[in-house]
Amino acid sequence: MSSAPEVHMLDFNDAAFSYDKHMPFIRGVSFSVDNGEFIGLLGANGSGKSTILKLAGGILKASAGEVKLWGKPIASYGNRDRAKLLSYLPQMLDTGIPFTVRELASMGLYPYDIMPGISVEDALEAAGLKEKSGAHISSLSGGEKRRAYIAMTLLQGAGLLLLDEPLANLDIKYQIELIKLLKNLREKRGISLIMALHDINTAMQFDRLIVIKEGRLLGSGRPESVLTKELLKEAFDVEVEIKREDSGGVYIKY
Amino acid sequence: MKLKLVLITFISAAVFLFALFIGPEPMSPFNMSGIEKEIIFSIRLPRVLVSLFMGMALGASGAVLQGILRNPLADPYILGISSGAALTAAFGIITGLSLFGIFTVPLLAFIGAVIAGIFVGAMGWKRGGFWPERLLLAGVGLGFLFSSLLMLILSISSDAKLKRAALWMFGDLSLADWSIIPFGFIFIAAGIAVSLSKAKALNALMLGDDLAHSLGFSPKRERFILFISVGLMTAASVSLGGMVGFIGLLIPHTGRFIAGSDSRALIPVSALGGGMLLCIADLIGKSVLSPVELPAGIITAVLGAPYFLYLLRRRDVLGA
Repeated sequence: MSSAPEVHMLDFNDAAFSYDKHMPFIRGVSFSVDNGEFIGLLGANGSGKSTILKLAGGILKASAGEVKLWGKPIASYGNRDRAKLLSYLPQMLDTGIPFTVRELASMGLYPYDIMPGISVEDALEAAGLKEKSGAHISSLSGGEKRRAYIAMTLLQGAGLLLLDEPLANLDIKYQIELIKLLKNLREKRGISLIMALHDINTAMQFDRLIVIKEGRLLGSGRPESVLTKELLKEAFDVEVEIKREDSGGVYIKY
Repeated sequence: MKLKLVLITFISAAVFLFALFIGPEPMSPFNMSGIEKEIIFSIRLPRVLVSLFMGMALGASGAVLQGILRNPLADPYILGISSGAALTAAFGIITGLSLFGIFTVPLLAFIGAVIAGIFVGAMGWKRGGFWPERLLLAGVGLGFLFSSLLMLILSISSDAKLKRAALWMFGDLSLADWSIIPFGFIFIAAGIAVSLSKAKALNALMLGDDLAHSLGFSPKRERFILFISVGLMTAASVSLGGMVGFIGLLIPHTGRFIAGSDSRALIPVSALGGGMLLCIADLIGKSVLSPVELPAGIITAVLGAPYFLYLLRRRDVLGA
Protein backbone atom coordinates (compact mmCIF):
# COMPACT_ATOMS: atom_id res chain seq x y z
CA MET A 1 0.00 0.00 0.00
CA SER A 2 1.53 3.31 -1.04
CA SER A 3 1.01 6.37 1.13
CA ALA A 4 0.31 9.85 -0.27
CA PRO A 5 3.49 11.89 -0.74
CA GLU A 6 4.21 14.21 2.18
CA VAL A 7 3.27 17.82 1.50
CA HIS A 8 5.87 20.33 2.70
CA MET A 9 5.46 24.05 3.13
CA LEU A 10 8.25 24.57 0.63
CA ASP A 11 9.90 21.86 -1.41
CA PHE A 12 12.93 22.15 -3.70
CA ASN A 13 13.20 19.05 -5.83
CA ASP A 14 16.39 18.84 -7.91
CA ALA A 15 15.98 22.53 -8.79
CA ALA A 16 18.35 24.19 -11.22
CA PHE A 17 18.70 27.70 -12.54
CA SER A 18 21.01 29.58 -14.85
CA TYR A 19 21.35 33.29 -15.61
CA ASP A 20 23.37 32.36 -18.69
CA LYS A 21 22.15 29.46 -20.87
CA HIS A 22 25.55 27.81 -20.99
CA MET A 23 26.48 28.24 -17.33
CA PRO A 24 24.21 26.57 -14.76
CA PHE A 25 24.30 28.65 -11.58
CA ILE A 26 22.16 26.49 -9.28
CA ARG A 27 22.30 22.74 -9.79
CA GLY A 28 20.39 19.83 -8.30
CA VAL A 29 19.25 21.58 -5.13
CA SER A 30 16.77 19.58 -3.04
CA PHE A 31 15.51 20.43 0.42
CA SER A 32 12.21 21.08 2.13
CA VAL A 33 10.91 23.44 4.79
CA ASP A 34 8.14 22.53 7.18
CA ASN A 35 5.85 24.57 9.38
CA GLY A 36 7.68 26.43 12.12
CA GLU A 37 11.18 25.60 10.88
CA PHE A 38 14.01 28.17 10.94
CA ILE A 39 16.58 27.48 8.26
CA GLY A 40 19.88 29.27 7.85
CA LEU A 41 21.40 29.49 4.39
CA LEU A 42 25.17 29.66 4.50
CA GLY A 43 27.69 30.02 1.73
CA ALA A 44 30.45 32.26 0.43
CA ASN A 45 29.68 35.40 -1.57
CA GLY A 46 28.36 34.44 -4.99
CA SER A 47 27.59 30.85 -3.94
CA GLY A 48 23.90 31.21 -4.88
CA LYS A 49 22.15 32.05 -1.60
CA SER A 50 20.19 34.97 -3.04
CA THR A 51 19.28 32.98 -6.14
CA ILE A 52 17.92 30.12 -4.01
CA LEU A 53 15.80 32.62 -2.04
CA LYS A 54 14.49 34.15 -5.28
CA LEU A 55 13.60 30.67 -6.58
CA ALA A 56 11.82 30.01 -3.28
CA GLY A 57 9.92 33.29 -3.64
CA GLY A 58 8.84 32.56 -7.22
CA ILE A 59 10.76 35.61 -8.48
CA LEU A 60 12.95 33.36 -10.58
CA LYS A 61 11.67 30.18 -12.25
CA ALA A 62 13.63 26.96 -11.96
CA SER A 63 15.01 25.90 -15.36
CA ALA A 64 14.91 22.25 -14.28
CA GLY A 65 13.43 20.41 -11.32
CA GLU A 66 10.64 21.85 -9.20
CA VAL A 67 9.95 24.36 -6.46
CA LYS A 68 6.63 23.68 -4.73
CA LEU A 69 4.71 25.71 -2.18
CA TRP A 70 2.29 23.60 -0.15
CA GLY A 71 2.49 20.83 -2.76
CA LYS A 72 1.74 23.01 -5.78
CA PRO A 73 4.28 24.47 -8.23
CA ILE A 74 5.00 28.00 -7.02
CA ALA A 75 4.32 29.45 -10.48
CA SER A 76 0.75 28.11 -10.36
CA TYR A 77 -0.19 30.57 -7.59
CA GLY A 78 -1.78 33.91 -8.36
CA ASN A 79 0.40 36.86 -7.30
CA ARG A 80 -1.79 37.90 -4.39
CA ASP A 81 -2.40 34.35 -3.18
CA ARG A 82 1.34 33.71 -3.16
CA ALA A 83 1.96 37.02 -1.33
CA LYS A 84 -0.29 35.85 1.51
CA LEU A 85 1.77 32.66 1.91
CA LEU A 86 5.33 33.91 1.59
CA SER A 87 7.22 37.17 1.63
CA TYR A 88 10.70 37.93 0.42
CA LEU A 89 13.01 40.68 1.61
CA PRO A 90 16.00 41.31 -0.65
CA GLN A 91 19.48 42.07 0.58
CA MET A 92 19.71 45.36 -1.28
CA LEU A 93 16.92 47.67 -0.15
CA ASP A 94 16.20 50.97 -1.85
CA THR A 95 16.65 53.53 0.87
CA GLY A 96 16.12 56.59 -1.35
CA ILE A 97 12.37 56.01 -1.55
CA PRO A 98 10.17 59.01 -0.69
CA PHE A 99 7.87 57.19 1.79
CA THR A 100 7.47 57.57 5.53
CA VAL A 101 7.97 54.60 7.86
CA ARG A 102 4.21 54.18 8.23
CA GLU A 103 3.58 54.41 4.47
CA LEU A 104 6.23 51.77 3.79
CA ALA A 105 5.10 49.40 6.55
CA SER A 106 1.45 49.68 5.44
CA MET A 107 2.36 48.31 2.02
CA GLY A 108 2.54 44.91 3.73
CA LEU A 109 -1.28 45.02 3.69
CA TYR A 110 -1.49 45.27 -0.12
CA PRO A 111 -2.27 41.58 -0.76
CA TYR A 112 -5.32 41.84 1.52
CA ASP A 113 -8.77 43.29 1.06
CA ILE A 114 -9.50 43.13 4.78
CA MET A 115 -7.05 43.80 7.58
CA PRO A 116 -5.24 40.65 8.74
CA GLY A 117 -4.55 39.97 12.42
CA ILE A 118 -1.63 42.33 13.00
CA SER A 119 -2.05 46.12 13.01
CA VAL A 120 0.35 48.72 11.61
CA GLU A 121 1.04 49.88 15.18
CA ASP A 122 1.91 46.33 16.29
CA ALA A 123 4.29 45.88 13.37
CA LEU A 124 6.00 49.23 14.02
CA GLU A 125 6.26 48.44 17.71
CA ALA A 126 7.76 45.04 16.98
CA ALA A 127 10.31 46.63 14.65
CA GLY A 128 11.13 49.28 17.28
CA LEU A 129 9.98 52.14 15.06
CA LYS A 130 6.76 53.26 16.69
CA GLU A 131 8.28 56.62 17.64
CA LYS A 132 9.47 57.20 14.09
CA SER A 133 6.35 56.23 12.20
CA GLY A 134 6.09 59.66 10.55
CA ALA A 135 9.78 59.93 9.63
CA HIS A 136 10.93 59.66 6.03
CA ILE A 137 12.85 56.49 5.21
CA SER A 138 15.71 58.53 3.76
CA SER A 139 16.21 60.26 7.14
CA LEU A 140 16.71 57.00 9.08
CA SER A 141 19.95 55.22 9.96
CA GLY A 142 20.94 52.10 7.99
CA GLY A 143 19.61 49.77 10.67
CA GLU A 144 16.33 51.68 11.04
CA LYS A 145 15.76 51.57 7.29
CA ARG A 146 16.12 47.80 7.35
CA ARG A 147 13.77 47.54 10.31
CA ALA A 148 11.16 49.63 8.48
CA TYR A 149 11.19 47.04 5.67
CA ILE A 150 11.00 44.29 8.28
CA ALA A 151 7.87 45.99 9.72
CA MET A 152 6.36 45.78 6.22
CA THR A 153 7.24 42.08 6.00
CA LEU A 154 5.68 41.44 9.42
CA LEU A 155 2.49 43.20 8.36
CA GLN A 156 2.33 41.07 5.22
CA GLY A 157 1.67 38.25 7.64
CA ALA A 158 2.91 35.40 5.44
CA GLY A 159 3.72 32.03 7.01
CA LEU A 160 7.07 31.71 5.23
CA LEU A 161 9.65 34.50 5.34
CA LEU A 162 12.56 34.55 2.92
CA LEU A 163 15.10 36.98 4.30
CA ASP A 164 18.28 37.77 2.40
CA GLU A 165 20.89 38.86 4.94
CA PRO A 166 18.45 40.87 7.09
CA LEU A 167 21.07 41.25 9.83
CA ALA A 168 23.51 43.15 7.63
CA ASN A 169 24.06 46.74 8.89
CA LEU A 170 22.26 46.00 12.14
CA ASP A 171 23.85 46.68 15.52
CA ILE A 172 24.22 43.58 17.68
CA LYS A 173 21.28 44.86 19.79
CA TYR A 174 18.95 44.83 16.80
CA GLN A 175 20.38 41.59 15.47
CA ILE A 176 19.44 39.95 18.76
CA GLU A 177 16.08 41.72 18.86
CA LEU A 178 15.24 40.68 15.32
CA ILE A 179 16.08 37.04 16.02
CA LYS A 180 14.00 37.22 19.22
CA LEU A 181 11.13 38.84 17.34
CA LEU A 182 11.18 36.12 14.70
CA LYS A 183 11.26 33.39 17.37
CA ASN A 184 8.36 35.10 19.10
CA LEU A 185 6.43 35.12 15.81
CA ARG A 186 7.11 31.41 15.45
CA GLU A 187 5.60 30.78 18.87
CA LYS A 188 2.56 32.94 18.20
CA ARG A 189 1.90 32.31 14.55
CA GLY A 190 4.04 29.31 13.63
CA ILE A 191 6.02 31.10 10.95
CA SER A 192 8.88 29.44 9.09
CA LEU A 193 11.85 31.16 7.59
CA ILE A 194 14.86 30.79 5.40
CA MET A 195 17.53 33.37 6.14
CA ALA A 196 20.72 33.89 4.18
CA LEU A 197 23.45 34.86 6.62
CA HIS A 198 27.17 35.03 7.19
CA ASP A 199 27.62 34.97 10.93
CA ILE A 200 28.38 31.50 12.25
CA ASN A 201 27.31 32.37 15.80
CA THR A 202 23.89 33.46 14.54
CA ALA A 203 23.75 30.32 12.42
CA MET A 204 23.83 28.28 15.63
CA GLN A 205 20.39 29.70 16.51
CA PHE A 206 18.70 27.94 13.60
CA ASP A 207 16.98 24.55 13.53
CA ARG A 208 18.74 23.55 10.38
CA LEU A 209 21.50 24.90 8.18
CA ILE A 210 21.86 24.54 4.44
CA VAL A 211 25.37 25.16 3.20
CA ILE A 212 25.93 25.81 -0.48
CA LYS A 213 28.94 26.20 -2.71
CA GLU A 214 28.88 27.17 -6.36
CA GLY A 215 25.16 26.54 -6.59
CA ARG A 216 25.23 23.04 -5.11
CA LEU A 217 24.20 21.74 -1.73
CA LEU A 218 27.30 21.06 0.32
CA GLY A 219 25.66 20.03 3.54
CA SER A 220 22.38 20.19 5.40
CA GLY A 221 21.33 19.38 8.92
CA ARG A 222 21.42 20.56 12.52
CA PRO A 223 24.00 23.34 13.07
CA GLU A 224 26.17 21.33 15.45
CA SER A 225 26.49 18.47 12.99
CA VAL A 226 26.89 20.60 9.87
CA LEU A 227 29.41 23.14 11.13
CA THR A 228 32.60 21.14 10.96
CA LYS A 229 36.12 22.29 10.25
CA GLU A 230 36.11 20.31 7.00
CA LEU A 231 32.82 21.75 5.76
CA LEU A 232 33.82 25.34 6.53
CA LYS A 233 37.10 24.77 4.69
CA GLU A 234 35.17 23.43 1.70
CA ALA A 235 32.47 26.15 1.75
CA PHE A 236 34.51 29.25 2.56
CA ASP A 237 38.08 28.18 1.83
CA VAL A 238 39.25 29.02 5.37
CA GLU A 239 41.24 27.14 7.98
CA VAL A 240 39.44 27.49 11.31
CA GLU A 241 39.09 25.60 14.57
CA ILE A 242 35.62 24.77 15.87
CA LYS A 243 35.48 25.05 19.64
CA ARG A 244 32.65 23.35 21.48
CA GLU A 245 31.89 24.26 25.05
CA ASP A 246 30.43 21.92 27.63
CA SER A 247 27.39 24.19 27.81
CA GLY A 248 26.68 23.36 24.17
CA GLY A 249 28.01 26.61 22.70
CA VAL A 250 30.11 26.53 19.57
CA TYR A 251 32.52 29.18 18.38
CA ILE A 252 35.14 29.52 15.74
CA LYS A 253 38.82 30.20 16.41
CA TYR A 254 41.23 31.40 13.78
CA MET B 1 -6.01 62.91 3.59
CA LYS B 2 -9.56 62.85 2.24
CA LEU B 3 -10.08 66.33 3.67
CA LYS B 4 -6.99 67.61 1.84
CA LEU B 5 -8.25 66.08 -1.42
CA VAL B 6 -11.67 67.70 -1.02
CA LEU B 7 -9.99 71.02 -0.22
CA ILE B 8 -7.71 70.83 -3.27
CA THR B 9 -10.70 69.91 -5.46
CA PHE B 10 -12.53 73.02 -4.23
CA ILE B 11 -9.49 75.23 -4.79
CA SER B 12 -9.11 73.78 -8.33
CA ALA B 13 -12.76 74.52 -9.05
CA ALA B 14 -12.27 78.10 -7.80
CA VAL B 15 -9.16 78.56 -9.97
CA PHE B 16 -11.07 77.15 -12.94
CA LEU B 17 -13.91 79.65 -12.46
CA PHE B 18 -11.44 82.46 -11.83
CA ALA B 19 -9.62 81.73 -15.11
CA LEU B 20 -12.96 81.51 -16.90
CA PHE B 21 -14.50 84.76 -15.71
CA ILE B 22 -11.56 87.00 -14.83
CA GLY B 23 -9.21 86.63 -17.82
CA PRO B 24 -7.74 89.77 -19.42
CA GLU B 25 -11.27 91.26 -19.40
CA PRO B 26 -13.19 90.36 -16.21
CA MET B 27 -16.83 89.32 -16.65
CA SER B 28 -19.51 88.75 -14.09
CA PRO B 29 -21.12 85.31 -14.29
CA PHE B 30 -24.38 86.80 -12.99
CA ASN B 31 -24.79 89.62 -15.46
CA MET B 32 -23.53 88.69 -18.92
CA SER B 33 -24.40 90.26 -22.24
CA GLY B 34 -24.97 88.10 -25.33
CA ILE B 35 -21.46 88.80 -26.61
CA GLU B 36 -19.93 87.99 -23.24
CA LYS B 37 -21.82 84.69 -23.17
CA GLU B 38 -20.50 83.94 -26.63
CA ILE B 39 -16.93 84.77 -25.54
CA ILE B 40 -17.24 82.57 -22.46
CA PHE B 41 -18.70 79.55 -24.27
CA SER B 42 -16.87 79.73 -27.60
CA ILE B 43 -13.46 81.02 -26.57
CA ARG B 44 -12.75 80.95 -22.86
CA LEU B 45 -14.46 77.74 -21.74
CA PRO B 46 -12.76 75.49 -24.35
CA ARG B 47 -9.44 77.16 -23.59
CA VAL B 48 -9.75 76.78 -19.82
CA LEU B 49 -10.91 73.18 -20.28
CA VAL B 50 -7.91 72.42 -22.51
CA SER B 51 -5.59 74.00 -19.88
CA LEU B 52 -7.25 71.95 -17.16
CA PHE B 53 -7.11 68.63 -19.04
CA MET B 54 -3.55 69.15 -20.30
CA GLY B 55 -2.34 70.19 -16.87
CA MET B 56 -4.09 67.22 -15.25
CA ALA B 57 -2.55 64.81 -17.76
CA LEU B 58 0.94 66.22 -17.29
CA GLY B 59 0.73 66.35 -13.49
CA ALA B 60 -0.59 62.80 -13.18
CA SER B 61 1.86 61.48 -15.81
CA GLY B 62 4.77 63.04 -13.94
CA ALA B 63 3.72 61.40 -10.68
CA VAL B 64 3.40 58.00 -12.39
CA LEU B 65 6.64 58.30 -14.37
CA GLN B 66 8.76 59.35 -11.40
CA GLY B 67 7.47 56.14 -9.79
CA ILE B 68 7.89 53.66 -12.63
CA LEU B 69 11.26 55.06 -13.68
CA ARG B 70 12.26 55.38 -10.00
CA ASN B 71 13.74 58.75 -10.81
CA PRO B 72 12.67 62.00 -9.11
CA LEU B 73 13.75 64.05 -12.12
CA ALA B 74 11.58 62.19 -14.64
CA ASP B 75 8.75 64.02 -16.39
CA PRO B 76 6.38 63.09 -19.23
CA TYR B 77 8.66 64.70 -21.80
CA ILE B 78 11.76 62.77 -20.81
CA LEU B 79 10.50 59.74 -22.71
CA GLY B 80 10.86 61.53 -26.06
CA ILE B 81 7.11 61.25 -26.64
CA SER B 82 6.70 65.01 -26.85
CA SER B 83 9.70 65.37 -29.19
CA GLY B 84 8.06 62.87 -31.52
CA ALA B 85 4.84 64.86 -31.36
CA ALA B 86 6.69 68.13 -31.96
CA LEU B 87 8.40 66.69 -35.02
CA THR B 88 5.21 65.55 -36.74
CA ALA B 89 3.20 68.60 -35.64
CA ALA B 90 5.91 70.97 -36.92
CA PHE B 91 6.01 69.00 -40.16
CA GLY B 92 2.25 69.57 -40.52
CA ILE B 93 2.50 73.29 -39.71
CA ILE B 94 5.51 73.95 -41.97
CA THR B 95 4.17 72.04 -44.95
CA GLY B 96 0.71 73.54 -44.44
CA LEU B 97 -0.96 70.13 -44.42
CA SER B 98 -4.71 70.43 -43.92
CA LEU B 99 -5.88 66.94 -44.73
CA PHE B 100 -8.19 66.79 -41.69
CA GLY B 101 -8.97 70.48 -41.33
CA ILE B 102 -8.66 71.71 -37.76
CA PHE B 103 -7.77 68.19 -36.62
CA THR B 104 -4.63 67.98 -38.79
CA VAL B 105 -2.02 69.30 -36.33
CA PRO B 106 -3.48 67.63 -33.20
CA LEU B 107 -3.80 64.36 -35.10
CA LEU B 108 -0.25 64.57 -36.44
CA ALA B 109 1.01 65.37 -32.93
CA PHE B 110 -0.88 62.40 -31.52
CA ILE B 111 0.47 60.07 -34.21
CA GLY B 112 4.02 61.37 -33.65
CA ALA B 113 3.67 60.89 -29.90
CA VAL B 114 2.36 57.35 -30.25
CA ILE B 115 5.08 56.36 -32.75
CA ALA B 116 7.76 57.85 -30.48
CA GLY B 117 6.23 56.01 -27.51
CA ILE B 118 6.34 52.72 -29.42
CA PHE B 119 10.00 53.34 -30.35
CA VAL B 120 10.97 54.15 -26.76
CA GLY B 121 8.97 51.20 -25.48
CA ALA B 122 10.62 48.83 -27.95
CA MET B 123 14.08 50.03 -26.96
CA GLY B 124 13.29 49.89 -23.27
CA TRP B 125 12.04 46.30 -23.58
CA LYS B 126 14.22 43.39 -22.55
CA ARG B 127 13.46 39.86 -21.35
CA GLY B 128 9.69 40.29 -21.38
CA GLY B 129 9.41 43.68 -19.66
CA PHE B 130 10.34 47.35 -19.53
CA TRP B 131 13.57 48.21 -17.74
CA PRO B 132 13.42 51.67 -16.11
CA GLU B 133 17.00 52.65 -16.98
CA ARG B 134 16.63 51.48 -20.57
CA LEU B 135 13.34 53.38 -20.98
CA LEU B 136 14.92 56.52 -19.60
CA LEU B 137 18.03 56.33 -21.77
CA ALA B 138 16.01 55.36 -24.87
CA GLY B 139 13.70 58.34 -24.22
CA VAL B 140 16.58 60.77 -23.83
CA GLY B 141 18.42 59.38 -26.88
CA LEU B 142 15.39 59.35 -29.17
CA GLY B 143 14.38 62.77 -27.85
CA PHE B 144 17.70 64.16 -29.11
CA LEU B 145 17.20 62.48 -32.48
CA PHE B 146 13.66 63.87 -32.90
CA SER B 147 14.76 67.32 -31.75
CA SER B 148 17.57 67.47 -34.27
CA LEU B 149 15.20 66.41 -37.08
CA LEU B 150 12.81 69.09 -35.86
CA MET B 151 15.58 71.71 -36.05
CA LEU B 152 16.31 70.57 -39.58
CA ILE B 153 12.67 71.10 -40.59
CA LEU B 154 12.51 74.48 -38.84
CA SER B 155 15.76 75.70 -40.37
CA ILE B 156 14.38 75.38 -43.89
CA SER B 157 10.93 76.86 -43.21
CA SER B 158 9.53 80.36 -43.82
CA ASP B 159 9.38 82.93 -40.99
CA ALA B 160 5.58 82.97 -40.56
CA LYS B 161 5.33 79.22 -40.32
CA LEU B 162 8.39 79.14 -38.10
CA LYS B 163 6.69 81.45 -35.58
CA ARG B 164 3.52 79.35 -35.62
CA ALA B 165 5.55 76.17 -35.05
CA ALA B 166 7.57 77.81 -32.27
CA LEU B 167 4.38 78.95 -30.53
CA TRP B 168 2.98 75.44 -30.74
CA MET B 169 6.15 74.02 -29.23
CA PHE B 170 5.82 76.23 -26.17
CA GLY B 171 2.20 75.33 -25.61
CA ASP B 172 -0.21 77.24 -27.79
CA LEU B 173 -3.56 77.08 -26.07
CA SER B 174 -5.10 79.56 -28.49
CA LEU B 175 -5.79 76.56 -30.70
CA ALA B 176 -8.29 75.27 -28.13
CA ASP B 177 -11.48 74.26 -29.88
CA TRP B 178 -14.57 72.38 -28.76
CA SER B 179 -14.22 69.83 -31.55
CA ILE B 180 -10.99 68.27 -30.24
CA ILE B 181 -11.74 68.46 -26.51
CA PRO B 182 -13.80 65.21 -26.28
CA PHE B 183 -11.00 63.17 -27.88
CA GLY B 184 -8.37 64.58 -25.54
CA PHE B 185 -10.69 64.17 -22.57
CA ILE B 186 -11.31 60.46 -23.28
CA PHE B 187 -7.60 59.58 -23.32
CA ILE B 188 -6.74 61.77 -20.34
CA ALA B 189 -9.65 60.62 -18.18
CA ALA B 190 -8.92 56.97 -19.04
CA GLY B 191 -5.20 57.47 -18.32
CA ILE B 192 -5.85 59.04 -14.92
CA ALA B 193 -8.43 56.35 -14.05
CA VAL B 194 -6.04 53.52 -14.99
CA SER B 195 -3.15 55.16 -13.10
CA LEU B 196 -5.32 55.57 -10.02
CA SER B 197 -6.45 51.95 -10.19
CA LYS B 198 -2.78 50.94 -10.27
CA ALA B 199 -1.66 53.31 -7.50
CA LYS B 200 -0.81 50.53 -5.02
CA ALA B 201 1.21 48.71 -7.68
CA LEU B 202 3.03 51.96 -8.42
CA ASN B 203 3.96 52.36 -4.75
CA ALA B 204 5.25 48.79 -4.71
CA LEU B 205 7.23 49.29 -7.95
CA MET B 206 9.05 52.16 -6.26
CA LEU B 207 10.52 49.65 -3.79
CA GLY B 208 12.03 47.62 -6.63
CA ASP B 209 10.72 44.76 -8.73
CA ASP B 210 11.56 41.96 -6.29
CA LEU B 211 9.66 43.58 -3.44
CA ALA B 212 6.74 44.48 -5.73
CA HIS B 213 6.59 40.80 -6.66
CA SER B 214 6.72 39.78 -3.01
CA LEU B 215 3.81 42.14 -2.27
CA GLY B 216 1.66 40.36 -4.84
CA PHE B 217 2.17 42.31 -8.08
CA SER B 218 3.57 41.38 -11.46
CA PRO B 219 6.14 44.19 -11.90
CA LYS B 220 6.47 43.76 -15.65
CA ARG B 221 2.73 43.79 -16.28
CA GLU B 222 2.06 46.74 -13.96
CA ARG B 223 4.89 48.80 -15.46
CA PHE B 224 3.63 48.03 -18.97
CA ILE B 225 0.06 49.15 -18.18
CA LEU B 226 1.28 52.32 -16.45
CA PHE B 227 3.65 53.15 -19.32
CA ILE B 228 0.84 52.80 -21.87
CA SER B 229 -1.52 54.98 -19.82
CA VAL B 230 1.15 57.67 -19.34
CA GLY B 231 2.07 57.50 -23.04
CA LEU B 232 -1.53 58.02 -24.14
CA MET B 233 -2.15 60.81 -21.62
CA THR B 234 0.99 62.63 -22.75
CA ALA B 235 0.11 62.14 -26.42
CA ALA B 236 -3.41 63.47 -25.85
CA SER B 237 -2.08 66.43 -23.87
CA VAL B 238 0.48 67.39 -26.52
CA SER B 239 -2.09 67.10 -29.28
CA LEU B 240 -4.53 69.36 -27.38
CA GLY B 241 -2.21 72.33 -27.04
CA GLY B 242 1.44 71.62 -27.79
CA MET B 243 4.26 71.20 -25.34
CA VAL B 244 4.02 72.72 -21.89
CA GLY B 245 7.14 72.04 -19.91
CA PHE B 246 7.90 71.58 -16.22
CA ILE B 247 4.36 70.78 -15.01
CA GLY B 248 5.14 67.07 -15.05
CA LEU B 249 8.33 67.65 -13.07
CA LEU B 250 7.26 70.43 -10.76
CA ILE B 251 3.79 69.35 -9.69
CA PRO B 252 4.48 65.82 -8.34
CA HIS B 253 7.23 67.19 -6.08
CA THR B 254 4.95 69.94 -4.81
CA GLY B 255 2.23 67.31 -4.42
CA ARG B 256 4.52 65.25 -2.18
CA PHE B 257 4.88 68.16 0.22
CA ILE B 258 1.11 68.45 0.44
CA ALA B 259 -0.14 64.89 0.24
CA GLY B 260 2.84 62.61 0.92
CA SER B 261 4.24 60.03 -1.50
CA ASP B 262 1.45 57.45 -1.48
CA SER B 263 0.41 57.36 -5.14
CA ARG B 264 -3.24 56.92 -4.16
CA ALA B 265 -3.16 60.53 -2.95
CA LEU B 266 -0.29 61.83 -5.07
CA ILE B 267 -1.87 61.03 -8.46
CA PRO B 268 -5.15 62.94 -7.88
CA VAL B 269 -3.34 65.81 -6.14
CA SER B 270 -0.80 66.05 -9.00
CA ALA B 271 -3.59 65.95 -11.58
CA LEU B 272 -5.53 68.75 -9.86
CA GLY B 273 -2.35 70.72 -9.19
CA GLY B 274 -1.27 70.41 -12.82
CA GLY B 275 -4.68 71.56 -14.03
CA MET B 276 -4.59 74.54 -11.68
CA LEU B 277 -1.04 75.56 -12.61
CA LEU B 278 -1.76 75.51 -16.34
CA CYS B 279 -5.00 77.49 -15.94
CA ILE B 280 -3.07 80.11 -13.96
CA ALA B 281 -0.08 80.07 -16.35
CA ASP B 282 -2.37 80.60 -19.34
CA LEU B 283 -4.18 83.39 -17.55
CA ILE B 284 -0.85 85.10 -16.83
CA GLY B 285 0.30 84.49 -20.42
CA LYS B 286 -2.85 86.11 -21.78
CA SER B 287 -2.78 89.04 -19.35
CA VAL B 288 0.77 90.35 -18.79
CA LEU B 289 1.40 91.69 -22.29
CA SER B 290 -2.22 91.79 -23.46
CA PRO B 291 -3.19 91.83 -26.30
CA VAL B 292 0.02 89.91 -27.12
CA GLU B 293 -0.28 86.37 -25.76
CA LEU B 294 2.67 84.53 -24.25
CA PRO B 295 2.55 80.75 -24.67
CA ALA B 296 1.62 79.07 -21.37
CA GLY B 297 4.69 76.83 -21.70
CA ILE B 298 6.95 79.86 -21.32
CA ILE B 299 5.20 80.85 -18.09
CA THR B 300 5.43 77.33 -16.64
CA ALA B 301 9.11 77.15 -17.67
CA VAL B 302 9.88 80.49 -16.02
CA LEU B 303 8.22 79.22 -12.84
CA GLY B 304 9.55 75.68 -13.22
CA ALA B 305 13.23 76.18 -14.08
CA PRO B 306 14.21 77.84 -10.78
CA TYR B 307 12.31 75.14 -8.91
CA PHE B 308 14.12 72.47 -10.91
CA LEU B 309 17.47 73.98 -9.88
CA TYR B 310 16.34 74.20 -6.27
CA LEU B 311 15.40 70.51 -6.53
CA LEU B 312 18.90 69.60 -7.62
CA ARG B 313 20.23 71.23 -4.47
CA ARG B 314 17.97 69.21 -2.20
CA ARG B 315 19.71 66.12 -0.97
CA ASP B 316 16.63 64.22 0.17
CA VAL B 317 14.78 64.58 -3.14
CA LEU B 318 17.56 62.82 -4.98
CA GLY B 319 17.90 60.23 -2.26
CA ALA B 320 21.56 61.11 -1.76
